[in-house]
Amino acid sequence: MDKETLFREISHALVEFEVEKVAELAEQTLLQNIPAFETITEGLVTGMKEVSRLFEEEEYFLPEVLMCSDAFNAGLEVVNPHLDKASLEKPIKMVIGVVEGDTHDIGKNLVGILSGASGFEVYDLGRDVPLDRFIEKAEEVESDMICMSTLMTTTMDGMKTVIDRLIERNIRDKYKVLIGGGPISQTFCDKIGADLYANDASSAVRKAKELMGRV
Amino acid sequence: MLIREDILTPKERMMALLTGKPLDRIICMPIVTTNLAQLIGKTVKEFQLDGQVMADAHIAGFQKFGYDLIYLFTNCSCVAEAMGAELVYSEDEPANCEVPVINSREDLSKIKVAENNDGQLPVYYEALEILNQAVGDQVFISVCFSGPVSTAATLRGVEAFARDTYADPELCHTLLRMATDSCKNFIREIVSYGAIPIILEPIASGSLFSPKMFDKIAFPYIKELVDLAHELKALIPLHICGKTHKIVDKMTDTGADVISLDKCDLMIAREKVAGRALILGNIDPANELLFGPVEEIHRICIEAIDTMKGYTPAFVLSTGCETGNKVPFKHIQAMLDVARSHGLYEYIKEN
Repeated sequence: MDKETLFREISHALVEFEVEKVAELAEQTLLQNIPAFETITEGLVTGMKEVSRLFEEEEYFLPEVLMCSDAFNAGLEVVNPHLDKASLEKPIKMVIGVVEGDTHDIGKNLVGILSGASGFEVYDLGRDVPLDRFIEKAEEVESDMICMSTLMTTTMDGMKTVIDRLIERNIRDKYKVLIGGGPISQTFCDKIGADLYANDASSAVRKAKELMGRV
Repeated sequence: MLIREDILTPKERMMALLTGKPLDRIICMPIVTTNLAQLIGKTVKEFQLDGQVMADAHIAGFQKFGYDLIYLFTNCSCVAEAMGAELVYSEDEPANCEVPVINSREDLSKIKVAENNDGQLPVYYEALEILNQAVGDQVFISVCFSGPVSTAATLRGVEAFARDTYADPELCHTLLRMATDSCKNFIREIVSYGAIPIILEPIASGSLFSPKMFDKIAFPYIKELVDLAHELKALIPLHICGKTHKIVDKMTDTGADVISLDKCDLMIAREKVAGRALILGNIDPANELLFGPVEEIHRICIEAIDTMKGYTPAFVLSTGCETGNKVPFKHIQAMLDVARSHGLYEYIKEN
């Protein structure tokens, strides 16, 4: 199989969430001395792009995205040890978590999965994250974005608190703040002065890239 | 805005609707539940664990607003709890299952089909007895509980459950079977108190699962619950949170008597439900209802009523989901004010 066919097959198997087939095909790329970087960007990431598209178009939903992400990771695991890190574009760094008081993390996890698969460097703080932790982590890893999510109206004000604290510390401009989750709306985003609101995981990733000037 | 006093009691109004008699105004049932604990100075935790507190809060709420249905609800995990899941109760939030009880097939021995007195289910019965005595002659009372999909997903963890739908369908259906049987036991008990069982399916949402998957994991089990309620001669509403525009027809196919909607275009709902059920919805409790102002709430309620004008059997003005602790009570009042002004019918009382 030539390189292009292999990449196409990998993308296809990934979209069909054939986990083992993706891993097998990834092994084949190594046997053919295809650089891991190419397999990732042209096979695996291309596949996940298609998954994002299918998700945004409501063809794929939570189970399908999770299964595809398992296939993506299976392929990644095979080629990653052979990756020449110097070949990578400087990734967009993102600190992500569910704000304090809330443990609903499906939406956040989807954004994390799709961002990671689109080449973001994702620092996932998990759920019920103390508000200062977002800022500390962003400072520590020199993040580009802070992404916060919540499913509850009782905890959404925490997002404003994080933004207010960034302003107090004179570091608001260092970060793009992205928010999302069930009760969040564009109205709320404007109200608290966040940079971006997205109403689903796939558009979150697309809009985040646009915001960072990477299309 | 001219707000007219009600002529019928909520119960008379519902009976009039069910028997095809004229109504004095549009039916209005905002989903007001645990947030009523504030009205009597109690916490959400006390509300969930003490039937007397639950009843007192609801009596206060009903007297304040005079809405057309009392919704007894504690949290989305009470059936899972009765089956063996452990919940975390915090003071001002509905309890939540943080650690799934089923991490592998072996864990199935840790759960069972819930009987009517398991977990905190008896809290509801205590509240129902008090409420039936106090306001049962004036208003219908309902009990909201998570249906098969949401209960199974709570037991397993939502993401693991979602993977199981492809990776281990057998485990998925084993859990759904047990959850369905647990719900059925609870429904029998609810109906024996003369209350209306309401199926909640936050996890079977069109935001999380495809319509195709809904057919496999949700439809047959929900339909079983609807069929049971009908055998018991009870009405049964079905509420699904999040997006539902692609499954609203399937929701109606279950035979549920009321289709309770969250994020769904009412025009689409109107076309798909097509007179087969009441449509209830769908003022966003996390947007206008949370932030106001009152004038904006009036505007969107009127818009919903106008969109559904002439819909039969009826459109019920309500919220898209439960109203949280932070929704100001005057915003809930604003919905009822619209029902009592813009939602009036030409009504001539017989005799």
